[in-house]
Amino acid sequence: MAGIELLSDQGYRLDGRKATELRKVQARMGVFGQADGSAYLEQGNTKVLAVVYGPHEVRGARSKILYDRAVINCQYSMATFSTAERKRRPHGDRKSSEMSLHLKQTFEAAVLTQLYPRSQIDIYVKILQADGGNYSACVNAATLAVIDAGIPMRDYVCACTAGFVDDTPLADLCHAEESGGGTSLAVALLPRGGQIALLQMDARLHQDHLDTLMEAAMTACKGVSKVLDEVVRQHLQEMSILTGE
Amino acid sequence: MLKSKTFVKKTRSGGILKVVREHYLRDDIWCGSEVCVECKDESPVLEKDPCMESSMCTFPHYLIPDTNVVLHQIDVLEDPLIRNVIILQTVLQEVRHRSAPAYKRIKDAIHNKEKHFYTFTNEHHRETFIEREPGESANDRNDRAIRAAAHWYSKHIPDSAEIKVVMLTNDRLNKEKAEQTGLLVYRCDEYIKSLIANPELVDRLALTSDEKNEITSSKILFPEHLPLSQIQSGIKSGKYIQGTFRANRDNFLEGTVFVHGEGDESTEILLQGLQKLNRAVHQDVVAVELLPQEDWVAPSAVVLQDDGSKGEDEEEEEEEEEKKLQTKQVHRDSLKPTGRVVGIIKRNWRPYCGMLTLSHIKESTRHLFTPADRRIPRIRIETRQAATLEGQRIMVAIDGWPKNSRYPRGHFMKNLGSAGDKETETEVLLLEHDVPHLPFSQNVLSFLPSMPWAITEDDMNRREDLRHLCVCSVDPPGCTDIDDALHCRELENGNLEVGVHIADVSHFIRPGNAMDQEAASRGTTVYLCGKRIDMVPELLSSNLCSLRSNVERLAFSCIWEMNDNAEILNTRFTKSVINSKASLTYAEAQMKIDDRNMNDDITKNLRGLNKLAKILKAGRIEKGALTLSSPEVRFHIDSETHDPIDLQTKELQETNSMVEEFMLLANISVAQKIYDEFSECALLRKHPSPPPSNYDILHKAIKTKNLVIHTDSAKELADSLNQADIEGFPYFNTLLRILATRCMMQAVYFCSGLDSDFRHYGLATPIYTHFTSPIRRYSDIIVHRLLAVAIGADSTYPALMDKHKQAALCNNLNYRHKMAQYAQRASVAFHTQLFFKSRGILNEEGFILFVRKNAIIVLIPKFGLEGTVFFENKDKPSPKMTFNEEVPTLTVEGHTFNLFDRVRVTISLDASNIQHQKIRMSLLEPVIPGVSVPLPEAEPEAKKAKLDR
Amino acid sequence: MAADMRLPTVRKQVSLSGSKSAIASLVVPGDVITTDTGFMRGHGTYLDEEKLTASVAGEVERVNKLICVRPLKTRYNGEVGDVVVGRITEVQQKRWKVETNSRLDSVLLLSAVNLPGGELRRRSAEDELSMRDYLQEGDLISAEVQAVFSDGALSLHTRSLKYGKLGQGVLVQVSPSLVKRQKTHFHYLPCGSSIILGNNGFIWLYPTPGQQDEDAGGYYTSIEPVALSDREVISRLRNCILALAAHKVMLFDTSVLYCYESSLTHQIKDILKPEVMEEVVLQTRHRLADQEG
Repeated sequence: MAGIELLSDQGYRLDGRKATELRKVQARMGVFGQADGSAYLEQGNTKVLAVVYGPHEVRGARSKILYDRAVINCQYSMATFSTAERKRRPHGDRKSSEMSLHLKQTFEAAVLTQLYPRSQIDIYVKILQADGGNYSACVNAATLAVIDAGIPMRDYVCACTAGFVDDTPLADLCHAEESGGGTSLAVALLPRGGQIALLQMDARLHQDHLDTLMEAAMTACKGVSKVLDEVVRQHLQEMSILTGE
Repeated sequence: MLKSKTFVKKTRSGGILKVVREHYLRDDIWCGSEVCVECKDESPVLEKDPCMESSMCTFPHYLIPDTNVVLHQIDVLEDPLIRNVIILQTVLQEVRHRSAPAYKRIKDAIHNKEKHFYTFTNEHHRETFIEREPGESANDRNDRAIRAAAHWYSKHIPDSAEIKVVMLTNDRLNKEKAEQTGLLVYRCDEYIKSLIANPELVDRLALTSDEKNEITSSKILFPEHLPLSQIQSGIKSGKYIQGTFRANRDNFLEGTVFVHGEGDESTEILLQGLQKLNRAVHQDVVAVELLPQEDWVAPSAVVLQDDGSKGEDEEEEEEEEEKKLQTKQVHRDSLKPTGRVVGIIKRNWRPYCGMLTLSHIKESTRHLFTPADRRIPRIRIETRQAATLEGQRIMVAIDGWPKNSRYPRGHFMKNLGSAGDKETETEVLLLEHDVPHLPFSQNVLSFLPSMPWAITEDDMNRREDLRHLCVCSVDPPGCTDIDDALHCRELENGNLEVGVHIADVSHFIRPGNAMDQEAASRGTTVYLCGKRIDMVPELLSSNLCSLRSNVERLAFSCIWEMNDNAEILNTRFTKSVINSKASLTYAEAQMKIDDRNMNDDITKNLRGLNKLAKILKAGRIEKGALTLSSPEVRFHIDSETHDPIDLQTKELQETNSMVEEFMLLANISVAQKIYDEFSECALLRKHPSPPPSNYDILHKAIKTKNLVIHTDSAKELADSLNQADIEGFPYFNTLLRILATRCMMQAVYFCSGLDSDFRHYGLATPIYTHFTSPIRRYSDIIVHRLLAVAIGADSTYPALMDKHKQAALCNNLNYRHKMAQYAQRASVAFHTQLFFKSRGILNEEGFILFVRKNAIIVLIPKFGLEGTVFFENKDKPSPKMTFNEEVPTLTVEGHTFNLFDRVRVTISLDASNIQHQKIRMSLLEPVIPGVSVPLPEAEPEAKKAKLDR
Repeated sequence: MAADMRLPTVRKQVSLSGSKSAIASLVVPGDVITTDTGFMRGHGTYLDEEKLTASVAGEVERVNKLICVRPLKTRYNGEVGDVVVGRITEVQQKRWKVETNSRLDSVLLLSAVNLPGGELRRRSAEDELSMRDYLQEGDLISAEVQAVFSDGALSLHTRSLKYGKLGQGVLVQVSPSLVKRQKTHFHYLPCGSSIILGNNGFIWLYPTPGQQDEDAGGYYTSIEPVALSDREVISRLRNCILALAAHKVMLFDTSVLYCYESSLTHQIKDILKPEVMEEVVLQTRHRLADQEG
């Protein structure tokens, strides 16, 4: 049986998007009372909850303390019901520790950690439903949560994936597209300055295509940043009206 | 702009999975019509005045076919007459799932600008998307989606345009429902018949299932095929086995199913009898059920062809076949696993070439079609042009094979020309061997360099100037695509410099353009007798790339420094410019070498090369390279009529082997270089060593002459072949080598990243590739590109470094290569027939190459011709025959035929079956009463003299 | 037992209409506030290639040349003199570590507490050993910020009888920014309960004590049962505070009291139901607005 056609001749993808179009992104900030910051984000069918605690005293091993800046502690996990097949996901498996590390690196680049020496910032993200682009959804949700917590950042960190099918770069891959083979590139971007916080690709891609693929991913990131910006401003406005007077 | 809609799918793989996918509905999908003012389509596809004159639809209209119409009537849709068709996405996706060839063809039609086929993405259009209702089957939903889209179109296209939308479907229910909603809907055949412009189109209509039932309500001949779901569960439980069906070329009642096992464990299951074959056609993927062991049978060595009963009634044939079956069941010595086909998993039908066998009833429009490929059953077609098609080669496609029909049903596609005609036959053999032979498209030609072409300053700067060297080429006579040239000179330090210069085709064919893609798809130039199917356009193959004498040409050079013992001291590769001093034939070169009076540069050059080549060859043979032999023939073709006038075996001269030696050396050097540089994606060629069982026949054969042959390694084989000689039988060694050749495996291209065994058995070298013929082989172009990157002369591109793409390319090249060989052989066979047609009956000496149960296979050294002498004859009682498989020998009426025995045979052309004309051989000597034939009169000889002019 | 269950609904935010001001001064991280170099960089901003850029989402505040961005929600940033409520997390040599919802744990030095026996008591080595007898991990205290260290950590003191260990009562945690700065954060509410509105967002509700024994030094813990009526009042107050916090109403004695009074028509457990919450908070807001106006 022929595999699925990821991009039709008419330029439509499996779910009806065009090559450069993003999935629908919806988000809410401040979904938890207890946490310092929290956010819920849907990127298509990928649904993520992000929670931020801190900055606070370093708990546990004192050796983790950094005397010039804050420690960022990330934990990525997936709900048992997040994928098509129900699966128990123990903590600390290879995939999620790798993802945790990537998130940590991403936010170390964006958060102004030097303002909080000797303290710790916890970022917990949980995938409630996985439909491709888990990393980018996590980054986007965590950004909102960090902003909600009032932790200073250089800029938003927006992440998006891009794939490469039939010599055409596709933005924001869904699960079917990710598993359909081919390369997938994830970029986390500080959109205003255009600095890249993290770039990840685990399949082979010819050097000649890298530029176009990066370009597509970065454009997609900027698209995401617009949506996030709207969400933040909306939230800000609502809150300030409440407390304003 | 985006509307999101999620839906839930259930798939089964181990458990039930809930798959949730997003489905965006859009409102920016245009209708694609020129008349539409609402849509902002920049280049609408559908014409303003679609004109297809139909007696039923007298108004301008667009067509919307449903899935089954596209699947089955693609031949009709492809006709240039049919234009302005809306192919819905629903339809396209269904076609894609159900038939890859049909999908490709419909896509080609969509891409063809002339056809004005428009793909409407209805599944993502906000107004045409429909959701599957509870209890509705997927097919019903799709039908409803098609109706919804058709409905939308009929509403959408402005009334002022007066264009209507006509839906085509063969499904009665669908049609009724569509009519209820007020759509214009016709059955496909109704509509096609109403077309005024081309009544012949009707013949190309595939028969639909409704019609089949009308034709034959007679008895059911075949067991029902199981539904796919049942087959799948059966395969899972091990009840059924999946495999590829391969019909037996010689016996239409027999076939095997090739089952792919894990690793090397592939097995074959034997199928015998029409019932057991159960409508499987060659190359279909089928499910078989093994029969209990007591029902197992042995493969019959009998040759049985379905051409005996021309146009007879079905019942009669049946009886005859049953009889044949019974006679076969006598043989029960070596039983094979036997089974029966329970269902077809995937049909692998393609269009077949062949001829029409007219029905005895004059007015009948139903006729039998006999394909050229014997493995394909005859096909029943319906046509009104039977009279004109008689004696013509035609193309036919199979539509289906109902269980109550003896033959599959099909429809006529194309007339190729009259049978026996050289043009037509060549066309047939090209088609049957899947050789792309259409003229190069305009798109491809647009990538040719513009003429007059000259080497630019820029080229000169990047390349090494080797014009001063005394380079010459040696090729067969009449060769216009010269892709290699050589030089040899003495260096100041006493060493020799030898250069192999190969046409720099990759300079002209840049990766990824249409010309490159076409060449990659063709894979190789195909040489037929008197015709060459080029891989690259002629301007390149015979002019710009051809290293002709006294013109400046771009080359890719491989230059060695050698000492007198032909040991390589230094190797380098460079892109260069050369100016060949002479283009010689093998014979000319040989003459120059042999003529002691000649002492010019070229001759010295050649002598140096020749000397080195001999050393190289000796070294190679020392390592165990095989010298094998196969009878090769050349035709002298009449320059005007292009008829073969003489036949001779190819002669080998010293210079042949001289050129070959340096080509081998260049190939090996390049292979090593590109493998060192690109261990993951080098394109190499390997020749696996054959499994020991392949040599069984050789061992048996040589035992009869009281000789021994060792086959443990290539070296031992080569040595024992060299030693095997019989006094007074000089041809014996050649015969032996011919036999040995048949034991070999096929050499193949592969990508170094996906294989670990690189050895080339025949050449006894650890690594090998093809570098020296880029004009006629695509593999060489890739190797050129790799090498160019390796020496920094060119830049790389993605596909070159992708080992999976390379592997896919290798598969295509191997396939094309194999097919080209078959086509070549078929062409030789056809020309041999032409040759003997003009000669009448000849008598010649030959040797027995193989012994079969009811025949011997004889090789005529003079013509390099192989033929079968049958001892059974339809109109005569069979002689008494005993076959000893162990030796093997065949004893006929007291005379025992051994391998390598010398016999005399008559050769003539059997034209009784125009489709399969064949060379008939009959025994002259030894004289066996009732078996051998009398010596023909001397008359044919005279005839021959006359024809020779 | 009847349980009250409801499906999730979109929470409506209650607000007095017509107050859509101050929107222009809202910024998000990465927004450039000004390219003028004449300004001073305050909290919530950073300099990105000479441009003053916001690093948090919030409101821009200009004080003369100083530009800060105040985030709507953040951890507690202590200032000297603030009243805080905190929990002991660790007992170290000569000091306690106190969790005060600040970026680092605050420090309560042994020398900064009133020990039984009067203010002038000398701290001896024995005191150091018996620190745990005074305050141990998990104990809640009220205290005042004495100093702020350079890394943002707070130093506390309890050198007043107002401060010290907290006994029986209820702790409510809200966002620090919701606690209004006032002259006093200790209130005896007329409804029969007392409240400590910690600046760090920790709010302590406890029954109004009878006559305080002077010499207890704040380390005495009453273990007498609290009367049911008092507990009901405290519970109601707790729920009222949560309701106000949920609707981002600034917390101070009046707002809490008004809310308490508005809620009296409802059962205590019903106060947290969204519709009741909405009603109660709206009433409170109106009363506050009336009072202001």
